[in-house]
Amino acid sequence: MQLKTSKPAGHIRDTLATLSLGLIAANAAISPAAAQQSTDNTDATPGEVTLTLPYFEVGSAYLSYAESGGRVRATEPSVDFSYHASNGGVLTLGFQEDSVSGATPNGAAPADVAQSFVTPVQVKTSAATSSGGTGTTTVTTGFGDDTNVSGNGGEGGEGGGGGTTTGGTTTGGTTTGGTTTGSTTTVTVTTASGGSTIISVPSGSGTGGTTAVLGRQYTVPANTLPMDRGFQDQRFAGNIGWSQPLGPLSLAGVTLSYSKEHDYSSISGSASVAKDFNDHNTTLSFAVNYSSATSTPFGGVPTPLTVMNPQWKTVASRKKSDMDLVLGLTEVLTRRWILQANLSYGHSSGYQNDPYRIISQVDGVTGEPVDYLYESRPGSRTRESFYIDNKIDFDWVIPEVALRYYHDNWGISSETADISARFKLYRSLYVLPNVRFYQQSAANFFHYYLVNGQSLPAYASSDIRLGKFTAVTLGAQIGFNVTDNSEIYARAQIYQQTGDAHPAGMIGQLQNQNMFSGIKASWMMVGYTWSFN
Amino acid sequence: MKHRGFVRVRRAARLALALSALALLTSACASIGPKPWEKDLMARKEMSVNPYPLVAAADDHIYFSKEASSGGRGFAGGGCGCN
Repeated sequence: MQLKTSKPAGHIRDTLATLSLGLIAANAAISPAAAQQSTDNTDATPGEVTLTLPYFEVGSAYLSYAESGGRVRATEPSVDFSYHASNGGVLTLGFQEDSVSGATPNGAAPADVAQSFVTPVQVKTSAATSSGGTGTTTVTTGFGDDTNVSGNGGEGGEGGGGGTTTGGTTTGGTTTGGTTTGSTTTVTVTTASGGSTIISVPSGSGTGGTTAVLGRQYTVPANTLPMDRGFQDQRFAGNIGWSQPLGPLSLAGVTLSYSKEHDYSSISGSASVAKDFNDHNTTLSFAVNYSSATSTPFGGVPTPLTVMNPQWKTVASRKKSDMDLVLGLTEVLTRRWILQANLSYGHSSGYQNDPYRIISQVDGVTGEPVDYLYESRPGSRTRESFYIDNKIDFDWVIPEVALRYYHDNWGISSETADISARFKLYRSLYVLPNVRFYQQSAANFFHYYLVNGQSLPAYASSDIRLGKFTAVTLGAQIGFNVTDNSEIYARAQIYQQTGDAHPAGMIGQLQNQNMFSGIKASWMMVGYTWSFN
Repeated sequence: MKHRGFVRVRRAARLALALSALALLTSACASIGPKPWEKDLMARKEMSVNPYPLVAAADDHIYFSKEASSGGRGFAGGGCGCN
């Protein structure tokens, strides 16, 4: 539904433009796709076309994501549905599911010796006792792609212990290995690809040293980035929203969202208002979002900066709340040029640690690992960002440049440039290459490691996502209309983070280690959109 | 007294200047952008601010879980324990 008005001058152009509007109006009756537009075009004013026919839109997509080096893999099917009522009201429904697995850095620094880590097993039991029972326990651990892993950790990064005692048929009632001898005792182990074992560890706080706890141990070879392979999670998320013109407002809307993982859940609500001015060429909007999240990590919530251990912690869960405000301006500058600018402010308070992530405590001379402490992040975070997006239609190509400046009170600043161009190839066929540049500074509590014997800081994390790095994304999307009202597209992206592998000031053996744990990832997405009356 | 009057005049002049600047801005703003019959291109999907919401949501979700920054295009990413 385009008119090639490349260089018509004067009244001819006006005539063509008027004609095209008429054609769009005619098309809108039979082709709801043509009616999909930004809000500044949907309201009717005298002399404009009123789109009164209700219609539906459905979007579905499938995402496949993988990081190199056997790290995180994920798939995510998602569906969006919207109903556009004749009074301008829009009902939206969305649903997505994520399945995530793979290895993820546990936060420890690499070392020139093999390193072993012991975390809680997933099932909360006091399995080992000192009864000396004659039964046997078979503890099966499965990691990597094994299906008997039920895991934890946030998607995309921080998993942690995930061994299950499936097959743990405790015949005889008690486990062997329960007779604690003061040293770590292996129970019965069946290892899978991840190389984790279930061990029995004397309880430091046990009564009389007669109790022990099960722990999941994994060992990382020398000169290797410590990663935990026992990581798998599944997430379901859904949202429902309604928006409509309301009194003097061009648009007012509310949305409710819910998200659930094995060890994390979140509920949020948002409200937004928008007002059009200037022939609908200017739209001012304001939106507020509040969310409440609960983190229920496997093994309980560890006390920050205490030594990593397999004990289930007494605190089962912690909460976090977020408030976000976005002030937006959308301006249609010319017939071909649209600009969007957003000013955002957000505040998070509550539990913001990664409960599975540790930080090495190393010897002050040799740099050898001494201990592993649970990380510690501030309970409050305030962030601001400014985002501006420009898109211009040159008929044969539509370039788009989006820039973002971000800053928060953890000391992180970042700049992002997202550049793309949609080339029209043949009929509805298009290709849309894109490139994205990103750089961020480090949080003021980012440390590669802590030094043994020195006083502990209040906050410390070795999560490279809070460190200094740059990232580049390259990709493209290709798509075409299957029918007048439906489009199919495919998209591929590659992404690489780059940072300092040998930062200045490393101690001892750490000078020889690769201290940058950033990722290289790629993802593919296919999608389909369809609108109908 | 004379001095007071002078201040008043200056204030009035400033106000007039501010008002005329505002009027100028408003009129300039009103003249920005196409007329209703020139909205043909803007009506198309590819010129909307977020033509592929599922793509944008997936990208934002990935970047949110791999980088320290979030938000900008819309609300800060959320709903997952990935950061």
